[in-house]
Amino acid sequence: MNETTGSALPVSDRGVAGAAENAPATRGRLNRHAMTRQLAAWGFVLPVTVYLLLFYGWPLYRNIDLSLRHYTVRSFVQGGAKFVGLQNYRTIFHDPTFLPALEHTAIFTAASLFFQFSIGMVLALFFFQHFKLARTLRALFLVPWLLPLIVSASTWSWMLNSDSGVVNAALGVVGVGPVHWLTSPTWALTSVTIANIWIGIPFNLVLLHSGLQSISSDVYEAASLDGAGSWKRFWLVTFPLLRPVSAITLLLGLVYTLKVFDIIWIMTRGGPADASTTLATYSYQLGFGTLLPQFDTGAAVGNVLILIALVFGLAYIRAQRKAAA
Amino acid sequence: MNISRRRGAVLAMSVAAVLGGLTACSSSSNHGARAPSTGNGSSASSASGGTPSAAASGGGGGGGGTYTIWDPYPQFDNSSDWVKLLQSCGSQAGVTVKRTGFDTTDLTTKVLLAAQQGNAPDVLIVDNPVVSTLADGGVLTDTTATKLDTSSIQPNILAAGQLDGKTYGVPIGANTLALYYNKNVLDAAGVDPTTVKDWSSLTTALQKIKAAGKKGITFSAIGTEEGSFQFLPWFWGSGANLTNLSSSQAVSALSLWTDWLKNGLAPNSVINNTQTTSWQEFASGDFGFGENGTWQLANAQKAGFPYGIISIPAQNGGGAPVPTGGEFVTIPVQKSTDRYATDEKLVSCLTSADNAYTTDTTLSYVGATKDIQSKQGSSTPALQPWIDAVQNAKGRTSDNLGTKYPKISEQLWKAVQSALSGAQSPQAALSAAQSAAAAATK
Amino acid sequence: MARRRWLRTVVGVVLTALMLFPLYWMINVSFTKDNRMRKSPPDLLPVHGTLAGYRAVMHQQLPYLATSLVVALGTVIVTVVLAAPAGYSLAKLRPRGRGALTFLLLIVQMIPAIIMAFGFYAIYLRLGVLNTIPGLIVADSTIAIPFAVLIFTAFMSGIPGELLQAAEIDGAGTLRRFLSVVLPVSRNAVVTVSLFAFLWSWSDFVFASTLDISGHHQPITLGIYHYIGNNNQQWNAIMATAVVASIPAAVLLVLAQRYVAAGVTAGAVKD
Repeated sequence: MNETTGSALPVSDRGVAGAAENAPATRGRLNRHAMTRQLAAWGFVLPVTVYLLLFYGWPLYRNIDLSLRHYTVRSFVQGGAKFVGLQNYRTIFHDPTFLPALEHTAIFTAASLFFQFSIGMVLALFFFQHFKLARTLRALFLVPWLLPLIVSASTWSWMLNSDSGVVNAALGVVGVGPVHWLTSPTWALTSVTIANIWIGIPFNLVLLHSGLQSISSDVYEAASLDGAGSWKRFWLVTFPLLRPVSAITLLLGLVYTLKVFDIIWIMTRGGPADASTTLATYSYQLGFGTLLPQFDTGAAVGNVLILIALVFGLAYIRAQRKAAA
Repeated sequence: MNISRRRGAVLAMSVAAVLGGLTACSSSSNHGARAPSTGNGSSASSASGGTPSAAASGGGGGGGGTYTIWDPYPQFDNSSDWVKLLQSCGSQAGVTVKRTGFDTTDLTTKVLLAAQQGNAPDVLIVDNPVVSTLADGGVLTDTTATKLDTSSIQPNILAAGQLDGKTYGVPIGANTLALYYNKNVLDAAGVDPTTVKDWSSLTTALQKIKAAGKKGITFSAIGTEEGSFQFLPWFWGSGANLTNLSSSQAVSALSLWTDWLKNGLAPNSVINNTQTTSWQEFASGDFGFGENGTWQLANAQKAGFPYGIISIPAQNGGGAPVPTGGEFVTIPVQKSTDRYATDEKLVSCLTSADNAYTTDTTLSYVGATKDIQSKQGSSTPALQPWIDAVQNAKGRTSDNLGTKYPKISEQLWKAVQSALSGAQSPQAALSAAQSAAAAATK
Repeated sequence: MARRRWLRTVVGVVLTALMLFPLYWMINVSFTKDNRMRKSPPDLLPVHGTLAGYRAVMHQQLPYLATSLVVALGTVIVTVVLAAPAGYSLAKLRPRGRGALTFLLLIVQMIPAIIMAFGFYAIYLRLGVLNTIPGLIVADSTIAIPFAVLIFTAFMSGIPGELLQAAEIDGAGTLRRFLSVVLPVSRNAVVTVSLFAFLWSWSDFVFASTLDISGHHQPITLGIYHYIGNNNQQWNAIMATAVVASIPAAVLLVLAQRYVAAGVTAGAVKD
């Protein structure tokens, strides 16, 4: 583990990554100075490491343990669940809900990320210009975030209601017949994706906007001296410089989007007929959605999600290293 | 993983020590802050005094002590009659009561988690179809251990709390479903509610309402237990049985709902309606009928239009069997059995005729015993049709389904969703449901 | 030029209005009477409004707001205190195994909140901190800490090495350098992390409902519970709670917002 990801940092910094490559050389002759340095270094990360092991390690261990045993309600309460190896994983892979859920997760995540990011970017560029109220308006864009998810998701399901929703009322005014946003198998996934995009925009806006602010204005001046138009300037100057920020924004966005379940759960319960079920809601449905909880298979689906995130995390770190090399 | 786990254990211990110190000092400052602000929930805050873990550790013994009660009525705060009743039952039993209200969908999970950690409440009030699941999980005591008396309870209501011949709780009251109708809408459409005797006369009535420019009927077909609860009267009313979801009777019941949607007699939103949403639709005054429960009675009187109630018709006439709803008062298993004596006092107090009558009136439920029912019938004539309905109601977990019911119910609501949204025909949806249910319950 | 600026303001206002429309709708519902909630077509303005929702909130919810504020601020402190040194170390001190650690920070964010809550419940029960504010603060900080470490690392690796070397020559130890050089320079990162920690903690529901449901002091997200009956939900009161809950937080947001200047990811952008 140490060897493979030794020099990985979430956001690459050439200085750090470059120095890290020298680490194996120094390892052989650890003098006292290097020792105290390591001690100090670990002193600073120790609290977080302990914290991680205690509060994340235990739940993660529990989740893996849950997925490898056959749990009934009785054995969950009283203990003594039988170890069944990968049986629960085989069960979910053969479940007719699994593949559609995987597909919906891919669509939901890809569409959410794409639109959150591009809308966030456009808005960040827009608010980066100087005009009256820019700051206040940008702050207001964050307000949706203050709402508990139960409230924002309920508001969306209210607005998208087939019969009394304001969206269909508005469509009716321009002569478009009612769309069954939440109740037709063709629209349900789109509807929850729209709501999720709405919720994700502030996050992308804040990160990208701060990224923009840290690009020095000299770079722009140089570019405008070269006679670059604003479109060209964005693609040739801004966007490449924003790449590290964009990468971390997208990666965090991916991690957060993969596990979204409250919004979908409140708006459609993953329905109708599993049309908007993702792996996250599927996991919740198994574990908590019925009167008879199935914690074992629910945990197995949860672990599949963690595995997916793991793959993307590794890919990200590899890309970072390549960029740094 | 192995190495880091051992190291992790050491680290965890040291952190636990640090945390212990941290919380110890901050909780003491907390007490200081708490003392003056007793205005919010004086009874509750006096209940736990300085040691919140007293109840958890089971200390206290015979005289006094703190007893915890969990219920699914978060809408009642400390000043409500319900909580006052709990407190007074506590003081009669000589103990302090610490009560927590949970959202009903949350409660099962929380109870399982607490029971796993040996921290179950002393008294638990829980939705009736969950009782057999909890009982099967060994969470609940049965009445032979706790000496609760259930002899006066009506057998069809008690059935939901029984598993393999043992009884695991006492119903606090019961509710069920019927059809509310809006007199104004029916009059305008020229529909006489007394002519609605079976499915075809109901459908005819809905068509007349639609022709008069109003909306037919609303119900809840959401993909949760609520959806199954609302579909069951039609399902049973067709003569279908939960052991065979794909029978021709079952298909006819689902086709009835599907055709209503197709023909615009019921709104498309029913697919996502909870019973509350469905009630709000009915309360808007546009609908002729709304399938809903006993608990809406108080809201119906506030709706601002004249309303009436008819029982849900069976396919070929007569009243359809309706499912019983409502909660059971149960006693979860405790580490020390000497708590049961006090637990029993608390439960008996809550379910005693006078107190149950008060509670059922607050919740707009029907009593679980003949005595309470006749008292309700004479004081609130509006409840009479509901009392009749409850007497004919059927437990969802009865027919000896027990813990199989949740799995069957899940497939049933999925099939309803598939058919209503047009993803599958009623026949195909129910066939798929039957094979999935058979696989899950074998 | 001035006209173009005004045009931008107008476009900005329109965009913000679009973005905040769901919020308007929430406010609209919070004033709506129960029997008009599912009217078709819906009322665009709460013309037949009721203040019942707000009356309920004013009577019952204010203590919850105070608790939420305490919990959110506590979360901010715990997050910054734990995450800032870690970010500094990862960015500048190069502890061994940092790659594994950052990777872990990324992955742990995938664990479903409800599973985390189960873990906390078991731990808290043994420590006796269930239903306490400190317990809730520690739990809520798990939402923000991995993110905060990543952001701090990104920012602090942008701090020029010369700055730290100069301090080292002056005889400042690692801790002194961190406290008197790194932290002041990272003010913006601190504000940004605080903002996120505050927001996440403010809107947390899962931890609150698992770990603080029997507490004397409960956050506003649990206050909403009062309007969820077992067969009936009081939607105007739920929405009114959300409206009231977002006001103080929104004010804080607009105020803090001025400090979220060049910062969050400065280190990531500059080499």
